[in-house]
Amino acid sequence: MKVYFSLAALYIRSFYNLPGKRAPGAKLDGKKIGKLVGMTVLVLFLLANLGVMFVGLNLGLYESLASVGMQGMLLLNAVVMATVMTLIIGFLTSLSTYYLNDMELQLLAMPIKPRALFAAKFTAVYVSEAIFSLFFILSAMVIFGIKEQPHPLMYLWGTLAAFLVPIPALAACYFVQVPLLSVARFLKNRQTILLVGGVLGLAMGLGFNLYYQTMFSRLATDPAWIAQNMAGPESLVAQAGRAWPPAYLAWKAMSQPASAQAALSLLGMAAFCLSFLAAAVLVLSGAYAKSLVGFNEVRLRRLGARTGEYLDRNLRRGHAFGTLVLREVRMMNREPMYLLNGPFIIVLMPVIFGIMLAAQKDAFLSDPDMAGLLALLQSGGGAVIAGLAGAFLGSGTSITCTAVSRDAKALPYIKSLPIKAGRYFLAKLAHGLIFGVFGAVAGVGLLTWALGLGASDAAAGLAMALGLSALVNMAGLWLDTANPRLKWDNPMAALKQNPNSVIMILGTMGLIGGAGYLAFSQGLSSWQAAAWFGLVPGVAFAALLAAFPAYAERRLAAMEV
Amino acid sequence: MIELSRVSKSYAKSGVKAVNDADVTVKNGEIFGFLGPNGAGKTTTIKLMTGVLKPDSGTVSIDGIDMAERALDAKRRFGYVTDNPELFARLKASEYLNFVADVYGVDTADRRERVERYASLFEIKDVLNASIGSYSHGMKQKLLVTASLVHDPDNWILDEPMVGLDPRSSFNLKELMRERAAAGKTVFFSTHVMEVAERLCDRLSIINKGAILFTGTLAELKTRGGSDSSLEKLFLELVDDKEEAKA
Repeated sequence: MKVYFSLAALYIRSFYNLPGKRAPGAKLDGKKIGKLVGMTVLVLFLLANLGVMFVGLNLGLYESLASVGMQGMLLLNAVVMATVMTLIIGFLTSLSTYYLNDMELQLLAMPIKPRALFAAKFTAVYVSEAIFSLFFILSAMVIFGIKEQPHPLMYLWGTLAAFLVPIPALAACYFVQVPLLSVARFLKNRQTILLVGGVLGLAMGLGFNLYYQTMFSRLATDPAWIAQNMAGPESLVAQAGRAWPPAYLAWKAMSQPASAQAALSLLGMAAFCLSFLAAAVLVLSGAYAKSLVGFNEVRLRRLGARTGEYLDRNLRRGHAFGTLVLREVRMMNREPMYLLNGPFIIVLMPVIFGIMLAAQKDAFLSDPDMAGLLALLQSGGGAVIAGLAGAFLGSGTSITCTAVSRDAKALPYIKSLPIKAGRYFLAKLAHGLIFGVFGAVAGVGLLTWALGLGASDAAAGLAMALGLSALVNMAGLWLDTANPRLKWDNPMAALKQNPNSVIMILGTMGLIGGAGYLAFSQGLSSWQAAAWFGLVPGVAFAALLAAFPAYAERRLAAMEV
Repeated sequence: MIELSRVSKSYAKSGVKAVNDADVTVKNGEIFGFLGPNGAGKTTTIKLMTGVLKPDSGTVSIDGIDMAERALDAKRRFGYVTDNPELFARLKASEYLNFVADVYGVDTADRRERVERYASLFEIKDVLNASIGSYSHGMKQKLLVTASLVHDPDNWILDEPMVGLDPRSSFNLKELMRERAAAGKTVFFSTHVMEVAERLCDRLSIINKGAILFTGTLAELKTRGGSDSSLEKLFLELVDDKEEAKA
């Protein structure tokens, strides 16, 4: 058991990037305290966001169900949704962490029982699932509790149920993945897994978004439909809840919290869920350990007789600056996690917006409160909205604000090459600007189409989007040049765990929000807005650009990697 | 020719003095070995030599060109094999070679000829279409060697070049070093492997804790040590003597 606990702690620290124990006598410096405060604020912000979403959803659902006297179904719906969500997210998490790195092979070489290894991995994945499940069920319990005043024991049964719900879901994920990865050689590659997981995650995220948007639009227009089709006794959710014993037992316990049957239901649920865990550990551990072997194998396809032809075609002189820009683009776009969390946002955000538009357009247009906003959009405000959307997309790729950090491993070599520092950094800026233009055009184009804007408004919006996104990209590069994250083991740390990307995202939101506020509060026409928020940022961009190469050269010389 | 004159370097963050008052001169037509235990300052010296780090004091020049004054000109005159082959893992090998050749302004015909020659020698020619990330450590090392020669530099600086190479490639690399030295070019390399240094070097330096303890030929080292021992024994005696003297 001692080995299991050590391994579980190791995996949990590794998965969630938790800091290790502080050395005795070590003090927290200002930077660490700032980081801790920033991370805490960010986590609270994220929880608040999810809270608003779940509470809003459950509140709407409660009111719909209460209108037909079926409010008790809210709790069943919450347990079923928590089961489904932990199944989906658990599948992605367990897949992406199935083989972390070559450390796993070293663990296989140690005297560790496969059961301890598998159970530790299961535990580490379970932690995030349990938190998610608790969050989902808790938000329903709070709504139900405030509205219906049930016995306080409901909270205890609900919390215990929330911790049990993810266990069979996660076990089921491993019952699929372990046999699959034992036989499917092409999946035994960490990059392939990350790519497959990323695409599945996106698809599922978009599916959830569609569900959420559909629910919300129907909440406003047709509560009876919600009651009947989404959470009513004959709905798919309710049928699934009754068919799936843990959901039914959890619902029973929460519905009659003060009865002896509640405790018995919870005991039954615990026995059912834990039997899945026991079965997974007993049946899968050996196969899991075996399936880890071969993950680090690579196969090279040799050119053979085509070598000469290949070299003739591919070894050609190019422009020195062009080759630097091309390197930047390839290095980012070929790292799946960089692509999905960076430039891919230009594709993803319009798709999410499209789903929202498709699901909510009717409700949006028929809402009398929106009449004023629609009039404003049609009288010139549309150009501002389109411009700000384009600016957001063109600024949201995190390319420039992580450009130096992502290149940390290559910096010593780059510094040995005869490349002017200014040129090296400008290649990074060019990379950001190329995608900035794509984002600006995509954002403005989408809003032009959605709001039915004319060519003049679209052009004004595009000028705003280009000016603002160029400035943000320049500022991002300046920030990452001033304070790059140069020490990391996992490439993700350079992007997702880089404070510069968080600062720039929040800064961009502030800039865009401020620009929107000023444009609407001052009643600027589309071309006035284009002048203020296209031309002025453009001039600021040019000023920063002129000063940047000399600064970048000094900073590069000072970077000791 | 590579010249380091009274070069010192302390790392800004840790404050550790990694190189202290180092003097090294590598003449044309010479294979120069740079020896020292782990953490002695070999890689830091090479980083100073290649312009990756700026010295706190002293000067570095390549073929008489001062690195501080005309860094780009100085950098054009050497090829560098780093000790970390984990570079640009997402690029294909051919893309990486093109990148390096473009940076040095090598024309199509020359890059084609040189890549053909060195990639064949190191048996990676028919996998230049693959991504660097799929290469083994040794293959990455061979690719780095190939890239470092794509502009046919007069000075060749290699940091632990034998690590990860198979015996045939290691032999070919040594032959290449001899060939370039015979053509009047400079070869500077660091190593832990005493046998390699003993057989290959015209002259060598031994560094420990940032200080150069000895520079000269193997015969001079033997005379100084007063014995006809192997380089390994002389190296250990020299490093241990200095540590005992300090203690």
